Amino acid sequence: MKTLKFHNLIVLIILGLFSTTNYAQDLSLTGYARNYTGLLINGDNNFSIIQNTFNLNIEQRKDIVAYKVNPYMYQYANRELELGLREVYLDIYLNSIDIRIGKQQIIWGKADGVFITDIVSPKDLREFLLPDFDEIRMGVNAIKADYYIGDNTFELVWIPTFTPTLYPDASSIWQLKPDFPVNPTFDYSKVDVEQSFKNSEIFGKFSMLTSLIDLEIMGAYAWDDDPTMHAFKQIDPATHTLTGLKIVPEHHRLTIGGGSFSTTVGPFVFRGEGAYYNGKGFNTTDPKVQDGVVEKDYLHYLLGTDFTVWDINTSIQFIQQRILDYNDFINTDEVQNMATFLAATDYLNETLHLRFFMYYDFENSASLIRPTITYDVADGFTALLGANIFTGTEGMFGRFNNNDMIYTKIKYSF
Amino acid sequence: MKRLSLLALLLLLTAITIPAQNNLTGLQIMEKVYNRPTGNDMEANLTMILISSSGNERVREIKQYIKDFGDVEKKIMFFIKPADVRNTSFMNWSYDDPNKDDDQWIYLPALKKVKRISSDSKGDYFMGSDFTYDDLGDRKPNEDTHKILREEKLNGEDCYVIESIPKDEDYMYSKTVTWIVKDKWIGLKKEFYDEDGEYLKTLNIKDYKNIKGYWIITGTEMDNVQKNHKTIMKLSNVKIDIGIPANKFTERMMKRGLK
Repeated sequence: MKTLKFHNLIVLIILGLFSTTNYAQDLSLTGYARNYTGLLINGDNNFSIIQNTFNLNIEQRKDIVAYKVNPYMYQYANRELELGLREVYLDIYLNSIDIRIGKQQIIWGKADGVFITDIVSPKDLREFLLPDFDEIRMGVNAIKADYYIGDNTFELVWIPTFTPTLYPDASSIWQLKPDFPVNPTFDYSKVDVEQSFKNSEIFGKFSMLTSLIDLEIMGAYAWDDDPTMHAFKQIDPATHTLTGLKIVPEHHRLTIGGGSFSTTVGPFVFRGEGAYYNGKGFNTTDPKVQDGVVEKDYLHYLLGTDFTVWDINTSIQFIQQRILDYNDFINTDEVQNMATFLAATDYLNETLHLRFFMYYDFENSASLIRPTITYDVADGFTALLGANIFTGTEGMFGRFNNNDMIYTKIKYSF
Repeated sequence: MKRLSLLALLLLLTAITIPAQNNLTGLQIMEKVYNRPTGNDMEANLTMILISSSGNERVREIKQYIKDFGDVEKKIMFFIKPADVRNTSFMNWSYDDPNKDDDQWIYLPALKKVKRISSDSKGDYFMGSDFTYDDLGDRKPNEDTHKILREEKLNGEDCYVIESIPKDEDYMYSKTVTWIVKDKWIGLKKEFYDEDGEYLKTLNIKDYKNIKGYWIITGTEMDNVQKNHKTIMKLSNVKIDIGIPANKFTERMMKRGLK
């Protein structure tokens, strides 16, 4: 409700500032209409999604002030109509400082398709990692200030109210089925973070873009977007067997420090990104831990390279997550290794685009393979045919091995 | 008849082996073209019309800013059309040092991220057009060996005809032949031959203007005969020496776009 009021306030300010027709000619209206239809390959060939989208970007600038409103509409064949504002903000451009106030997507880091220092905007995972990235990242109500000195930027972000990751509901094919020894009960009484000043989040970043290297150094005092699942066991004192399990999801504070770089060596672009998370909650089977959660620090980092071979733009990334001060009671592996591979090329004067993207999970020998072919029917009008293939049986990709799908996206941009 | 043919052959050889009348070599002429003054900075709209073999037209529109900082020339381009690439921006820093590669970045609005890209693929075609990045002026004269073939009139202008052969044998063109307007140092026409030596495409200058004392090419047409595909390129709203601020060529402006 508070979020709605915040939106309304921003919209009213914007309309008040720019309601006169004098500036109508500077008004920029862009966006797209899109049909997205997905069909499951396995089982009864159910439609995984039939979605019609209308996305509008309304932008205008007057002197040092500009605004953007980005309403969107998702109409589904089997779900309720969804209307929202992905972004709605005011920009104030000063000599060396830019200030952005309102709901906004904030993207950090040099990694592609992996979230390491890119933790400001939470994720909408209702369709797993399959939507376009501007649809996965949710806008957050924030005040962002950028101070520029030459090619250096100091950025400060204050987010007064916490927004968690959005997960699929129980009926979705993308819901992660928790693996518990007994059927648990859930207590959601602690899952909400009270919207108060002391619960606000703060992020800071220094970045530089130079001929030699592009660099980012960041720090954050934030909430973990993903709730930690505190697990309280009920044991029969007579038999010492597990008779019940109460799961209490709760978000915890995290202190994060990290950075990223990108540089060119001949035909290669080398990229790296890493973050140190202090106080991340992990589930444990340690009988001495009453709520089944231990806090551990952990590292998440990536090295990658981009290059072109035989006119194919290629990108490879290796990603590792490592829990520090590990013990064998922790449910998550101490080290998790993943890689991504991208190959993309164009034909017919860049009207036919072929793309192959893959995540590979080394621990579970599982992957998500995403080939697409896109044809630009006319300027701004594209037709895409793609597939999402899950291999393996376990891990974040293998568990969806029944969700292999082919899909089309017909999109008109204006 | 034989005497006439011999005379013609001698004249041709003379044109090939002897420097031009003012003792310029092929390399010096191409350097004059490359270094032709175009002002300290320039703002312009660039329109490209891509015409396929079936006559289907696609339009790309760009706003571009260029500024010479002495040892580095910085360029920033904001894509306006087609709609699905609007607000994409591209920045290039090109150095006088022939041993230093260009630095390039692209901002993709869907990703909201500035990405460093390699400038190694200058042979790539620009936005699906018939122009490669090199064709657009990024190729440095010392990358080719130049030879004056002859001098002749083209479209009423006195021209040097220069053959340029890449030093890199794997380059996408085996040779180019350029008609350079004397004294204006504008390439009026250029023929491109592919790796196999086959005739590939021709660039024709359709329009050029003197703006603030600088010769600026404002209309070109590239005709790819192998693909039967054509690109018409027009430069409009050209403004020169307007004092574009240095901070126009930064990550800040790439993200802000044309706002």
